[in-house]
Amino acid sequence: MDTLTIAATGRTPGVAFDFPAGQLRLTGESYPDDVATFFGPIFTALRDYLAVPGHTPIRFDMELLYFNSSSAKALMNIFQMLEAVAKAGRPVAVVWSHEEGDESMRELGEDFAEDLRHVAFSLREVPIGGIG
Amino acid sequence: MSFNLFAAEEQAVEQARALGERLKEVAPDCVAGFEALIESFQRSIREQRRLLRVSDRLQAQLGTANQELERRRREAETALVELREAQRAMLQAEKLASLGALVAGVAHEINTPVGIAVSCASHLADATGRLKTMSESGGISRGDFARYLATAADTSDLILANCERAAQLIAGFKQVAVDRASSERRRINLGAYIHETLVSLQPKLRPAGHGVSVSCPAELELDSYPGALSQILSNLVMNALTHAFAEGQPGGMAIDAAPVGGDMVRLIFRDDGRGMTDEHRNRVFEPFFTTRRGQGGSGLGLHIVHNLVVGVLKGSITVDSAPDRGTAFTLLFPRCTPDDPAPPAEAPVNPPA
Repeated sequence: MDTLTIAATGRTPGVAFDFPAGQLRLTGESYPDDVATFFGPIFTALRDYLAVPGHTPIRFDMELLYFNSSSAKALMNIFQMLEAVAKAGRPVAVVWSHEEGDESMRELGEDFAEDLRHVAFSLREVPIGGIG
Repeated sequence: MSFNLFAAEEQAVEQARALGERLKEVAPDCVAGFEALIESFQRSIREQRRLLRVSDRLQAQLGTANQELERRRREAETALVELREAQRAMLQAEKLASLGALVAGVAHEINTPVGIAVSCASHLADATGRLKTMSESGGISRGDFARYLATAADTSDLILANCERAAQLIAGFKQVAVDRASSERRRINLGAYIHETLVSLQPKLRPAGHGVSVSCPAELELDSYPGALSQILSNLVMNALTHAFAEGQPGGMAIDAAPVGGDMVRLIFRDDGRGMTDEHRNRVFEPFFTTRRGQGGSGLGLHIVHNLVVGVLKGSITVDSAPDRGTAFTLLFPRCTPDDPAPPAEAPVNPPA
């Protein structure tokens, strides 16, 4: 699988995973009716991709504006998967975007980075309305 | 000592660590697995903390959204109240303006007979003055006197006829104006009342050559609100004049009234003008619907008609129209308006049902 692209809907985020380029991106809002149905295929694709050893650096752009608790747990799981390959030596960067002035989203980013030791984590402040 | 939500979990981790120390002595080969277990438990606690923060953030967002919603709801309600007040004021203004137009129309109408009477009187005064001069100089011939008598007879006939016409107009107008302003109920002869109302509209009709034919049984009487009826008729005529006929084209309008059954009256107002599309026809009674916004159209004329027919006359109104096929409004209402629990003093400004 080269890419995984899912268009955003009102309740589910936009997914743009370009695996050959190592560019992974989640945008929009995430509060799916059924978190397993939505995130299941994403995890499968990601797991398959990360299972093949490679040296292409990976960059994950977290550009969600709004997510529910289940989606938060799904994010933590993705971060753990990335942390595992980073620990094995592959360069991985996570960029956590938050809107200007959204302190609680920035703090959440810092919280989420707590378990990332090998992943290069950074925060990116964007103007209001500048993501998605 | 600050309150710690996760005190119990942290205590459990401490206990597990102590257990791990003992495990080093009794089962060293289990230590690595046990430490991984502790690490996993600790990560789970950290995830729990994060999830709480996510959940708290969501709750806070929900609270803010609800407040915003409530604020906007209040704003919308205030705006609605203001809008209703503005609509009420506009309807009132429209009612007054139409009363003003009625006054202007009748004043214009009375001007003609009064003007004729004035010139006849002036002519008679001149002739009388000349005869007086001749009389003083003692030179009145038979012929002079006969001519004077003929002039006097003609002019006094004209003066009388035109003053009677003016008096008749004033009487009719007075009643229409009083009815309009007072919204009082009384018995009227429908045909005569239609004619009296049309008098005030003559200045609008005559210059363009428009005509209104009236067909109504002479004995048809109503016990109703003539002010409302008069306003309905003038709004229908004014609406036709504004919309139905092309500039410079004389148009025809007809009012047909007839009893239906024993208790109802059907009044049809039709024009032979350009008609309207389905889209316009469907919206024609909506308040503030106008195709002439910015050109003096308030979009209230037919809305007022609708309110008066339904609210005051307790009847119904329908419209039939198609492009190039003219327009017909059909009103059906009781001959004797049923009593209303509330007096219809402000009926014309009732909001639409």
